[in-house]
Amino acid sequence: MIKSHPSEAILYQYASGDLSASMTLVVGTHIDMCSICKQTVCEIEEELCKKHLDSIVETICAPDKGSMSKSQCDQMLEAIFNSQVKPAVQREDLISLEGRRFNLPTTLAHNAHRIGEWTHLVGKLWRAPVNLSDDGQTNLIYMEPGAQVPEHSHKGQEATLVIDGVFNDEHDAYYDGDFILLDADRKHTPRTATEDCLTLATLDAPLFFTSGISRLLNPFSSLFFR
Amino acid sequence: MQTVTSHTSQRGVMTTSQQDTAEKAAQLLAQIAESRSRQAFSELFSHFAPKLQAYGTRQFGNEQTAMDLVQETMTNVWHKAHLFKADKGSPSTWIFTIARNIRFDLLRKNKKRKDDISADELWPILAEQNDNLDDDYALDQDILLQEISHYYGQLPDAQRIVVEKIYVEGKSQQEVSDSLGIPLGTVKSRTRLALKKLKELIVEHD
Repeated sequence: MIKSHPSEAILYQYASGDLSASMTLVVGTHIDMCSICKQTVCEIEEELCKKHLDSIVETICAPDKGSMSKSQCDQMLEAIFNSQVKPAVQREDLISLEGRRFNLPTTLAHNAHRIGEWTHLVGKLWRAPVNLSDDGQTNLIYMEPGAQVPEHSHKGQEATLVIDGVFNDEHDAYYDGDFILLDADRKHTPRTATEDCLTLATLDAPLFFTSGISRLLNPFSSLFFR
Repeated sequence: MQTVTSHTSQRGVMTTSQQDTAEKAAQLLAQIAESRSRQAFSELFSHFAPKLQAYGTRQFGNEQTAMDLVQETMTNVWHKAHLFKADKGSPSTWIFTIARNIRFDLLRKNKKRKDDISADELWPILAEQNDNLDDDYALDQDILLQEISHYYGQLPDAQRIVVEKIYVEGKSQQEVSDSLGIPLGTVKSRTRLALKKLKELIVEHD
């Protein structure tokens, strides 16, 4: 049972197409996994459709009415009938790492071709970038059992989605489908225990390590980030 | 967020209720999907193009970009009508989500980034779904094509060609329908029959 969801405001922005590409990917992947948010988004889309389309009552393709002329309409129809089908986006449903194979939710599966090489970070942490040519930085993060990310805060927002497995921080435990949004000054120390964990995370500014010796990692925080 | 629908009757444009309009639009989409009816599409177009144009104009504040949004949205409707599922929502909501995606792409286009992500990747609403193949007929993935090529040589030509295009060339059923000039329904039934036959052949041999 998923207990941590995006706010309704975020779902509204998602349905309107107003989130960044990276946030759209993370929220969309959560929605693939969450029937509750899927239902909410359907309702929001209906509402948006009423607001943007259904309420419009103009006639066109009739002489002297509306703003598209009959000939404009005919031209556009002709162009549409002569158009070619765009090639569909190829999806890949599986990724593997260290002998583990993970099923990808639909939205992420359609972006599998954007997933780069896995690199080993410190300890039991792995990272593969998702190249969205976006302002934010989006990564798949894989934590082996018994892994720990040193305590850190964020200069910007961090959104994390659990794809598979479980991780804990000081605040809670997060399972498959849980969506966690952390603001700039919230510190946390994600770690795994006996299970491993695959997450999709997006950051709009670098991590900032806050405690003890791990402050030494700050010059390298781009490792966790880029 | 309440919208005013009483305007419709004032203008005398749509005398039917929203419900009837939705049913009519769903019928038109079905006709487009089944028989590529240009007449059905034209009718759908006259209903939705002005709405899309108004949406585009408000979003972009630019007539030309609004027209691009109308054209690209309706182009997707023309090619992807078979992906509309009446049980999942109304036709206008489906068309709105397509327009929302086109808007996303048009807004990003101006920034001219290389290998930019497209809305089709982020909201895969127009992905060919696999659910048009019944699970019953899905083959186990670990059966290699090499192993079954021997069997599928035994299929009647009509079925073999369809199966080759879908499973070897990776075409969608709609694309096969277009390229062979046969109705989508025929493609689906040939696929089903072929997979059933293959399954029987494989089980017999095991």
